[in-house]
Amino acid sequence: MAHQHPEEIEKIVEQLADLKNTSELMMDLAYSSILLNSMDLAEEVQRLEEYVDKLHTDFELRVLTSKFTKEEAKGFLGLIRLGVAAEKIADSAAQISEVILRGLEPHPILKMVIREAEETIANVRVTKKSTLVNKTLRDARIPKETGMWVLAIRRGEKCVRPKPDTVIESGDILIASGYAEGVEDLKKLASP
Amino acid sequence: MRHLEKVKYMPTSVRELVLEMKNLSELMIDLAYSAALFNDKELAEDVIELENRIDNLAFLLELHIMVAARNPEDAEALLAVSRIGSAADKISDAAADIAAIILQDIGVHPIVTEIFEKVEERLMRAKVVQESAIIGKSVHELDLVAKMGVDIIAIGRNKEWIIDPKEGETIKDGDILIARGASSGIKEFKELAEQNQRNKVK
Repeated sequence: MAHQHPEEIEKIVEQLADLKNTSELMMDLAYSSILLNSMDLAEEVQRLEEYVDKLHTDFELRVLTSKFTKEEAKGFLGLIRLGVAAEKIADSAAQISEVILRGLEPHPILKMVIREAEETIANVRVTKKSTLVNKTLRDARIPKETGMWVLAIRRGEKCVRPKPDTVIESGDILIASGYAEGVEDLKKLASP
Repeated sequence: MRHLEKVKYMPTSVRELVLEMKNLSELMIDLAYSAALFNDKELAEDVIELENRIDNLAFLLELHIMVAARNPEDAEALLAVSRIGSAADKISDAAADIAAIILQDIGVHPIVTEIFEKVEERLMRAKVVQESAIIGKSVHELDLVAKMGVDIIAIGRNKEWIIDPKEGETIKDGDILIARGASSGIKEFKELAEQNQRNKVK
């Protein structure tokens, strides 16, 4: 049984979760790149696509080299197929961001669609008076307060991928995804 | 072989088409992963049905784009819409591939579900227990999206799934809920669904 090597399985599942999460993050970033007509976000999607490709290969090799029994083989095939699907989602996100990289002007309809979709994307500026200034993302608890998830922080010319200990500065632009209902809360929090 | 609907032009809004494709494709991903991880055939079948819907929408979108383009400038402006429509279509294909893992009886190793529930931050499944505080409340009343950034994407009841339940849908004892959203919110909501009011320590 696979239970004889749980650490190995755990590693496989972690990689699968990483594939799943990264491919979904890529979709959000790709739609953000369209909404904001942003070259650096589009490039970030392409970088992540390369990361996913490598991760996916590594994941498949790991699955193939884990010692599974004949009875377990089907379950492992299922894992491999999940990986392939996540990779396909990542590819689709890359296709979306390619629109920007190819210099196509995002049609106004697209911006409307992204804003009106159930899961939307918002960009808000952090003003001096905001309680977020000088807080780390961990302490700011933005998902808890607003239901929005910070995808990227635009700081001057640069675009930073947020980590829990990233400190929010006044003037930062937060690019966040979530349900439309959270956008107002996020705006209140960032630009009171 | 599956029945394929005839493609026929009818005037509709391109914005509505793309909007529905985006919403559906994202819903499908979440439903498909849920079907695979919780090994649920009915849910997988619903994903395949949604995939058919998106396929039809993709044809309609292409038709509308062709009709709308009158000159090279139009074509350039609409190309982005077409590419994004096709990306949403591909995403829904990927979701259908995930559903197929379950429908073809391949399945996912059971230990995966166990570990996955620990690392997954976007999706959760909860069984509504007797006397949970949410029983008898409608989706609208719960107002989960505004309160905790969580959205119920499917309700399992009498061995059937209500996909993307409407605002008026009421939660019943024994319902299986699949929800997506912010990680802090889904944890909070799982507790709310699975905890008897009576036992609530406060």
